[in-house]
Amino acid sequence: MTLTAPSRRTVLRAGGYSLTAAGLGATAASWDRLSASDIPGRDGSMLTVAVLGSAIDPSQQSVLVEDFQRLHPDIRVRLLAVQATDWNDFFSKILTQIAAGSAPDVVYVATEGVQLFAKRLGVALDAWVRRDADELREYFADVHPSLVESMMYEGSLYQLPVEFNAANMYLSGKVLRRTHAELPPADWTRDDFTALLRDMKRTGGRGFTPFFWTNRLWGGVVPWLFANGTNVLTESKAPGGDWLWNRFYPEKQRRGRGGGYRWGAPQALDGRVEEVYDYLASLVHDGLCSRPEGGSGTNLIGAFSTGRVGVTPAGGFWAGGLHEAGVERDAYDAQFFPRWRTRRHQYGAAGYAVLRTSERQDEAWEFVKYAVRRDVMTRLFQKNQTTPARRSMLTARRYAATGPAHWDIFYDTLDRFPASGPIPAPPQVAAVDLALTKHTATALGSAGSVKPALRALQRDLERAMERDT
Amino acid sequence: MSTTTPPARHRALTWLFLAPTVLGVAVFTVVPIVGSVILSFFHWDVIDPPTSAGSANYRELATDTSILTAFGNTLLFMVFAVTLQLATALVLALALQGRMPRWIQQALRSAFFFPLVLSAASISVVMKYLFNQDFGVVNWVLGQFGASPVPWLTSEGWAMAAVVLVYVWQQFGFSFLLFVGGLANIPRELHEAAAMDGATGLRKHLRITLPLLSPTLLVASVVGVINALQVFEQPYVLTDGGPGDATRTAVMVLYQTAFEQLRFGEASAIGVVLFALILTVTALQFRLSRRFVHYQ
Repeated sequence: MTLTAPSRRTVLRAGGYSLTAAGLGATAASWDRLSASDIPGRDGSMLTVAVLGSAIDPSQQSVLVEDFQRLHPDIRVRLLAVQATDWNDFFSKILTQIAAGSAPDVVYVATEGVQLFAKRLGVALDAWVRRDADELREYFADVHPSLVESMMYEGSLYQLPVEFNAANMYLSGKVLRRTHAELPPADWTRDDFTALLRDMKRTGGRGFTPFFWTNRLWGGVVPWLFANGTNVLTESKAPGGDWLWNRFYPEKQRRGRGGGYRWGAPQALDGRVEEVYDYLASLVHDGLCSRPEGGSGTNLIGAFSTGRVGVTPAGGFWAGGLHEAGVERDAYDAQFFPRWRTRRHQYGAAGYAVLRTSERQDEAWEFVKYAVRRDVMTRLFQKNQTTPARRSMLTARRYAATGPAHWDIFYDTLDRFPASGPIPAPPQVAAVDLALTKHTATALGSAGSVKPALRALQRDLERAMERDT
Repeated sequence: MSTTTPPARHRALTWLFLAPTVLGVAVFTVVPIVGSVILSFFHWDVIDPPTSAGSANYRELATDTSILTAFGNTLLFMVFAVTLQLATALVLALALQGRMPRWIQQALRSAFFFPLVLSAASISVVMKYLFNQDFGVVNWVLGQFGASPVPWLTSEGWAMAAVVLVYVWQQFGFSFLLFVGGLANIPRELHEAAAMDGATGLRKHLRITLPLLSPTLLVASVVGVINALQVFEQPYVLTDGGPGDATRTAVMVLYQTAFEQLRFGEASAIGVVLFALILTVTALQFRLSRRFVHYQ
């Protein structure tokens, strides 16, 4: 092969290409781009806060970042909105991140994960709460002790509740009118509930489901277990917690409080549990409610707002959801869960937990305190996408645009029924959740399935609880 | 033919070109596989360091009814899904060989292949709406003909059928393309000769098309079986493994054990067993192919 000198034209063309490439390279290099430090947890100079993507309105996230940094210019915050279908999915993603060595400093944790995080990953807030007691007195005075107790584990506090949702009942105004029925009274019973469903069914026509529910740990079969004075796991309270109750709550409110819930031996074979399953099976059999696997929040709003569903369990969060979907405030209303043997309601709460692995724990605590300030929560929860943990925030003005008319039941659930309890979520919550949803589906899937399914549920729960976590 | 040793410079160049692939496979395939096998003999929950488990994870696997059911479901799913997938693809590929305008042929080919390029998760979300017992379009249409609502996703039998249908609808496009290619390679003269000998349509396909298409059928069935044994998205989104364990598959139970229950050792053991199962079934297919596959 012989080499020949390149022509002048070739040299000029190559020069032109080189200049263009250099220009493009320089332009690309000058743009903001992702680098290794953008991976959550890799940039040690920032406080990383992981939240469930849908929990905080994207337009309001600046409240948590910019406004906090204005108060604390020395603390840089990165908000990591993790997209997940539910809390279990969220925890899976956070744990995967921790496994990958990119643990955030602060994680937004709901009741489902409180004990898992407290036992394995979280830092007790006790020392900081004691130190800043004067600053926090106003907060605790505004927050129901039941919510605080649900965030305690073995005598220590791991989170300050930011929001909660109790399992109340939402009723479609369209369906009530069609049935010529009024909103049930606050003291309605399970039998009233069944009678209402039957009336709705009679006038509903084809494709109508009187009661629609979702098979999950919150709002599924568990509120019925609570109402019937039972649970799938035995329930007790850990000793301790006096340091908090005596400091922040009056005698009347701290009576009976302890150091957090303890979930013990499974009791799926308890007679009252079977009673609940038999009752739900009868509703399914009579076509009064959706089958457990059929219930899904994804298509519920549409079905509810068009009168194809009469009643469904939901918390304050649904007021915002319905409003966002264009449902008028008078097109629905809410009521307490019906009485069975008790008026006990189920609720779930959420708040920020500080991770043990964080090297910025003091800064993380400043963030946790900031996040529960009334002004911050007011700006964050403008759309009623949840029920704020602060009682003073639940006002007629807040619900004027979204409804429901009986918005006051949301907080009254805690005030009027203080024995209400959190989701049964021990550190082994994932296995408990899987067993419960799986066997609930089987129990209600076909006639005569309740007893065998409950035996299988008991077996799986025992297996789950034997495991450490 | 004489063989000559390539000069050292060429050998170095060969390795240089191979290096990226070899490194990629080593880092992203071999190391994770070896890592999983090792991890399957440990208890590890991500948070604390791993501790030795001996064969406990494998014993747990052998006694856990949910895991065994999931493996049973996976095999059942594989049989139904692969059979239906291959049959649908073959019938449509043969039908498309018939006389029809070229543009219709091309439009149908694209339509059959299109679901394959879509995300399985997105498709499953849409299908979940369509198959909803109370509000789904499928039951609404059936209702127009007086049929009662079918519990597509809520009864044990129907749920598996729905998952198989959704999976096959999305996956058959791949086998279809293979078959279209395979059929194009069969010499037309063979069919013409058979016709002159009096062979009818079905007989022609059984005696000529299928034997000559058998190498393509083998490839399609091997790929189909490997994919079906790893099914995850469709049952996860459509039914979450339910009702009960009716549609829980091996990969689903692996995911739940690892990422929801933090038992990575046991999940690795499930992965190792699944790997062995896929290897065994594939080896069996190749062994059987000696009897049934005809190369021209």
